[in-house]
Amino acid sequence: MKSFSDWIRQPGLLNAVPVGLFLLVGFAGPLVLVLLYSFMPPKTFTLNQVPTLENYLSVVTQSYYISFGWSLMLAVITVALLLVITYPIAYGMTKLFNRWATLITILVALPLLISENIRLFGWVLLLLKNGVIDGSLQYLLGVSLSGLLYTVPAVVLGLVYVYLPFMLFPLVIGMSMVPDSLKEAASDLGASRLQIFWEVELPLSMPGILIGSLLVFILSLGSLAESKILGGQVIVMIADDIESAFTFAQNWPKGSVLSVLLITLSLVIIFFLFRNIDLDRLVGRR
Amino acid sequence: MAIHTSRRNFLQTTGAFAAAYAMGTFPGLAHAAREKELNIYCWEGYNSDDVLDPFRREFDATVRAEGLTSDPDAVNRLRAGETKIWDLINVNNPWAREMMWPEGLILDLPRDRFEPFFEQMMPAFHPPYSWAMDKTGEHLLGVTQRFGPFNFVVNTDKISRSMAEDQGFKLFLDPAMKDRYGVLTYDNWNIYHMCVAADVHPFKVHTPEEISAFSDMARQIFNGAKILTDDLVAMNLALINGEIDAYFTGGTYTASPARYDGYSNVRGITPASGPMDGKGGIVWIELTSVVNNPQVSPLAEEFLAYIQRPDVSKNVAFAEGTYNPVTQMGSADVLGAFDSDELDAIQWDTLEEEMARSADYDINPDYAEMYEHYSAAKREREA
Repeated sequence: MKSFSDWIRQPGLLNAVPVGLFLLVGFAGPLVLVLLYSFMPPKTFTLNQVPTLENYLSVVTQSYYISFGWSLMLAVITVALLLVITYPIAYGMTKLFNRWATLITILVALPLLISENIRLFGWVLLLLKNGVIDGSLQYLLGVSLSGLLYTVPAVVLGLVYVYLPFMLFPLVIGMSMVPDSLKEAASDLGASRLQIFWEVELPLSMPGILIGSLLVFILSLGSLAESKILGGQVIVMIADDIESAFTFAQNWPKGSVLSVLLITLSLVIIFFLFRNIDLDRLVGRR
Repeated sequence: MAIHTSRRNFLQTTGAFAAAYAMGTFPGLAHAAREKELNIYCWEGYNSDDVLDPFRREFDATVRAEGLTSDPDAVNRLRAGETKIWDLINVNNPWAREMMWPEGLILDLPRDRFEPFFEQMMPAFHPPYSWAMDKTGEHLLGVTQRFGPFNFVVNTDKISRSMAEDQGFKLFLDPAMKDRYGVLTYDNWNIYHMCVAADVHPFKVHTPEEISAFSDMARQIFNGAKILTDDLVAMNLALINGEIDAYFTGGTYTASPARYDGYSNVRGITPASGPMDGKGGIVWIELTSVVNNPQVSPLAEEFLAYIQRPDVSKNVAFAEGTYNPVTQMGSADVLGAFDSDELDAIQWDTLEEEMARSADYDINPDYAEMYEHYSAAKREREA
């Protein structure tokens, strides 16, 4: 058995110290603070108060379920739409496009270098009444499409547009893990194209699908800019409620409760999603 | 104006700031290093190069200014420990007197040096100007500059100014206005304006009936609105392209960029009458205060004196973003610096009468309770 001094000198452990400290201070620390604030009395700005469940009760008895509901629903819709949109693109990039795949990768990745808000304001100019789309249609065809902006579909469009790369790239990685030889073998054994897709390709590319879906789901659940800029706050997302609680309402404890509930909701969904899935097996470690 | 920054310059500036920040934890070492440095946390305008560059040159100073987007956010940051970073904070009138001074977040100013500046301002701001003083009337908490009536904005091609003034906020309750207006979601201002719309004085203690009337009004306003956004440019654009005819919560501050671009049909309206001792409008006044920084820069007071100069006052009024009247326009030198287009953009022609019809922005004692009703009305809005 190793002595403590030997154990502490392990290179792996020593190398993990900087990142461990960084995660502790930069990631775990703020989360613990948020958790602690959620038990402080409403409208207090220090942690030395008597803990209370008042904020949790207040959130549960008010209509915050509407914001949670919208955020959840839009996150699910965004994931579903992106799976349908990006699956064929990812398939093409891994199996068909050859050297063109690099160009597509660059084209999809490039917008990530530009601030999300700026890209969304670009969409505002497109969708605005008398904007690029409405104005062009009026000029060319004499028809008007003025009701595009400040609607729920506009919010969904924003979410799908902004989070597309976060679904596409994990899918590409997932699909590149499917060996062509397996599909050929399935074909030789008499499987139809549909059977090959359902029983070979889809299960084997599942790690990419799951990781992409998870990324997009979590990001959409906490999104704010799309509903504000493209939706004109036609709906209130839960991140909007959290921001308002921390700022205009000057109620850090309530903002903390909403944050804790959102994080818990995400964790519960992730838990159920991965409960029956063996990640190690999926990523090919065994 | 182009900014020429070499890599070396950039490294020097950021290095100086980082060093100064680090020295914040070593009080004895810091003072000498901060004599040529000033950090300003302000609404947009004071961070403009037109305002800052002449000061940088004259005082050979490194000035860093960051724009803020909400008063409560800014005060939160000071509460969270950023008093060690900032030397000056610029927020709306009630915060200094009601929150920042009682909480020890700001310092007072030498009255003998700064009250003479107030003498030169428009008559309403002559000393002792109550929002610049603490509640005992002994301590001067900051200097005023930008201000403006802030109520609602209409497209005067669709709704005449006189009709809008006569109807006041009741305009938004007209069934014909359903889906013809937006709500600029400056939450705290919305709450005050919804009070006024419900014939409730926003700046006093409220009865349960008044809270209930406010709550009903919040639902009515949100349910009738076509657009909700906190982006004043998007709101002006919707007004100009005919998507809406008016927006709830707005004034000179929000209408002036569109007016200065030539859309003089975009106009801030101050209701002719209302529940605030007969007044139907509200006016905000900014106050710039010295932060209670343990190593506050000696340049902080110099900057407050510098912004009183006529050319600088004009630059502050017409910095990028939004355009606003300044209290220094009481001086003929400052007023003379504005041309007719600029005066029209800030609605100078009606400013005096609008001020006379306005109550000063203040703290709402029932803000917390009303905010619950307000945010519920927004969440439960019938989209």
